[in-house]
Amino acid sequence: MLKNRTIAWSLLTPSAAWLILFFVLPMIGMLILSLRPDMRGGPFQLGWLPTVKHYQNIITGEVYLPLLWLSIKVAFGVAMAATLLAYPLAYFLVFHAGRRSSFLLTLAILPFWTSYLLRIIAWKTMLGSNGLVNNLLIYLGLVEEPVRILLYSRLAVIVTLVYVWLPFVALPIFASLHRINPSFLEAAAILGASPWRSFFKVTLPLSLPGVIAGFFMVFIPTVGEYITPMLVGGTRSTLYGNIIELYFGDGANWPLGSAMSVVMLAGVLLLALVISRLVDLRRLVG
Amino acid sequence: MSQRTKDQNVFFVLILMLTFVLTACSGAAQPTSEPAATEATEALATEAPVQSGSLTVLEWAGYEIPEMWVDFGNTYPDANVTFNFGGSDPDIYGKVLAGSSEDIIHMYTPFLNFYVEEGLIQPLDTSKLTNWEKVPQGFKDACTIDGEVYCVPWDWGYSSILYRTDKIPEGVDSWEALMDAKYAGHISMWDDGPSAVSVGSYLKGYDETNLTDEQLEEIKQLWIEQRDKNLFYWVDEPALEEAISSGDVWVAYAWNGAFYRLLQAGVPVAYADPKEGRNSWIGQYAISTKAENYDLALAFLDSKLGEETATHLLVDYAYGHPIPEYFSVVEDPLLVQALSLDDPGILERTNFTVPISSANRDRFVEMWAEVKAAP
Repeated sequence: MLKNRTIAWSLLTPSAAWLILFFVLPMIGMLILSLRPDMRGGPFQLGWLPTVKHYQNIITGEVYLPLLWLSIKVAFGVAMAATLLAYPLAYFLVFHAGRRSSFLLTLAILPFWTSYLLRIIAWKTMLGSNGLVNNLLIYLGLVEEPVRILLYSRLAVIVTLVYVWLPFVALPIFASLHRINPSFLEAAAILGASPWRSFFKVTLPLSLPGVIAGFFMVFIPTVGEYITPMLVGGTRSTLYGNIIELYFGDGANWPLGSAMSVVMLAGVLLLALVISRLVDLRRLVG
Repeated sequence: MSQRTKDQNVFFVLILMLTFVLTACSGAAQPTSEPAATEATEALATEAPVQSGSLTVLEWAGYEIPEMWVDFGNTYPDANVTFNFGGSDPDIYGKVLAGSSEDIIHMYTPFLNFYVEEGLIQPLDTSKLTNWEKVPQGFKDACTIDGEVYCVPWDWGYSSILYRTDKIPEGVDSWEALMDAKYAGHISMWDDGPSAVSVGSYLKGYDETNLTDEQLEEIKQLWIEQRDKNLFYWVDEPALEEAISSGDVWVAYAWNGAFYRLLQAGVPVAYADPKEGRNSWIGQYAISTKAENYDLALAFLDSKLGEETATHLLVDYAYGHPIPEYFSVVEDPLLVQALSLDDPGILERTNFTVPISSANRDRFVEMWAEVKAAP
């Protein structure tokens, strides 16, 4: 017993220490910062009176909460689209690609070997007025003037994000599909289930944990996304994360930025809680 | 795919990345390969005492090369100058605020007041600056807060309206062009609240240093209305330049560096001289309150105003230098055009960015956030 405990501690301590140092403590720091009236005296200044004025500002302001809601909707759309596109991909890799499946999976995640930023910048050269897509459209005679909706729009942000996340979602779905015992499918077939019926009654429910994991892996970071709107977005593509970035960056107003981050965190946690209540994870797994 | 081929691929990508990094470094290092001028500036050399010691400078990458402080290097060959870097004004300010202890700090006008408010920099004894009298009043004012001079102005440039002459043959003579429905979908504003407030103040005729809440609200509405005519808020200059040369953007808030590079690239562009006056940005050097060698730091600041240093700044980097009598070294006609050096009245017509208080900056940034986030 004692030995087990020692093993557990030695396995957990390094990662726990890392997370406490670089996740829990900064989070507490952010919470404290969000109660500061302003930045006077620098980040380590003591002796200020806590205030909730930044939270009041966010909650009573006309723009912040609607923008958070918009960002949640965009993230939901991106996560939904990425999941819907990734599922057939993972399904194909597991059930139809045969021996080549791991090679094809490697191809699918190949873009991750280059930097995220680099890939987004590559999208700009694809979607821009002088970009590949527009040149092709003009060459084919489909349009006369470059189509500008391709870049500088919310659509461009969504398209880029779905592209970036697609392989990420495919991985957990691939793993969960891979784990399905083939004899279940055989049993369904022997008992006379049509392929569609066995998909909806056996394959899909058994793969749902992977689907949900993939969905949240996209949804949660996308709510706070700011780089993509900055690079390929237009005037109306600002997301909640961009305003947080503005306050931490050029604005040099960390307390307000922290308060916005805390509000976002609370919002996302609340949503995840609601969704996990609606979709009973344990029942899915069990 | 086997583990070995995977490893080989990772290795290949690493090599590729390393190559990129190395090429990027050698590219950035090119301006330095030009041999540093060896002739010593005599004026400085004769009167300066032989002094050694060490200085640390919190600097922007690119300004650490010896050409950018050649007058100091010539006068104090034994002094040991070390550079640390920041990537942006908020970054540099954050570092100093958190206790970074460089002797000299390089910031831009909108941030100067923050340092003063927090007691991070000290007033300068301008009587010890041999080149101070050559500096025009506008540049001195940008360094002066409550009658005390806190910095030496150095690199500067304009902010004005850059436009495509083929798309807008009638030309642009007012900041109003950024709001003009005729150019809807082809306008690009810089993603910066204080600059948006400056432009709004010019258009409304308000005093940007003393805006009431109602006036700020009007400026906010101006930019909210502008938003659907604006294609995108630019963050980095290359993205803006690309959009202008591709024809997506016809009219933009821009710095003269972008104008110069587009001229060089042969894009048909002009840089407006708006009736409300251009805006401008000024880089400044200040001495930290923690500086141990005040006199040497002051000598460093003074030498930034020396002629040879100025020449390198003007010719190598195409940025402005505050002392007009050095401008004659610029021979490149495109650069003369980009800095408007052929227009003696331009500096009088330019609105030099004034230091703003942190309270005002918070208001301006919040206004800008509300413009960008408006439903």
